[in-house]
Amino acid sequence: MNENKLQQLFTAARRETTPPPAGDFADAVLRAIRLAPAERLPDAFSLFDPLNRWGLRLAFASVAVIVLCASADLVMGAAGQPETDDAAAQVSTQYLMSVEDM
Amino acid sequence: MTEDEELVRRIRAGATDDYAELVRRHQSRVFAILHRYERDWQRVEDLAQETFFKAWRALAQFDGRAPFEHWVSRIAVRTALDHLRKETKHRKHDVALDDLGEDVLDWLHNDADRNELEAHSASEVLHLALRQLPPLDRAVIIQQELEGRNFREIAATLGTSVIAVRVRAVRARAKLRRALENLGAGPKPASRRRGTDPRPEI
Repeated sequence: MNENKLQQLFTAARRETTPPPAGDFADAVLRAIRLAPAERLPDAFSLFDPLNRWGLRLAFASVAVIVLCASADLVMGAAGQPETDDAAAQVSTQYLMSVEDM
Repeated sequence: MTEDEELVRRIRAGATDDYAELVRRHQSRVFAILHRYERDWQRVEDLAQETFFKAWRALAQFDGRAPFEHWVSRIAVRTALDHLRKETKHRKHDVALDDLGEDVLDWLHNDADRNELEAHSASEVLHLALRQLPPLDRAVIIQQELEGRNFREIAATLGTSVIAVRVRAVRARAKLRRALENLGAGPKPASRRRGTDPRPEI
């Protein structure tokens, strides 16, 4: 098929008119929207939405992690292992000594 | 603020019924777009409903930077593309070549035929050939040749780069030409049948 004929086809197809939609189409759309389950006009996205949804769980999870770490530290200390504050003191001493050497 | 933006503002504020007015304003444009991709009028109606339903759900994202008409047109094209992808997966069409009628087939068979095709027949021929192309190729040809969009607009609609659209347009055109040649190379029908006009009879 040559270019001229292809263009002729496009030109003719462009002239085609679309039949008008049914008169009650807009009302049908509105009915469908109202019937759709759990669909409502969505609000603009906000960062507070997920925070509200997950905030309480996040708070509980954080508290649980803190309690777990504190009790692990206590158990380790009772078992004669160095506690977290011992390790922290050791790290800071080593840091201070290395600074003084410089 | 345009009338559309004012309507959107009212709908967001809770005036749900006003959405029907917004649909009435843009339904012709949406139907025209969808009818380029799907010839079955019942399916076009379903797709138009899906388009406006998606637009409703995404109304909070309409920022007014582009006119509402452009925004909803973009949703319509994407809905049509999704439909074409599903159709390609689930439905196998037989090209109803002899449904086109003898005049159309003569036009296709004869490269020197200078008679102009009637608009509806041209659309049917084009649709039959386009059905043999991948959905994205189809979308590029339809938007470029039938809707008169430029590459930048097509790229925005399809969510791709202008260069990618340019390349696809060249390839799609070559594929379309081959598909049309294949249609034209087919045997001539013995009898003339009625066309496949999806439009309701008046």
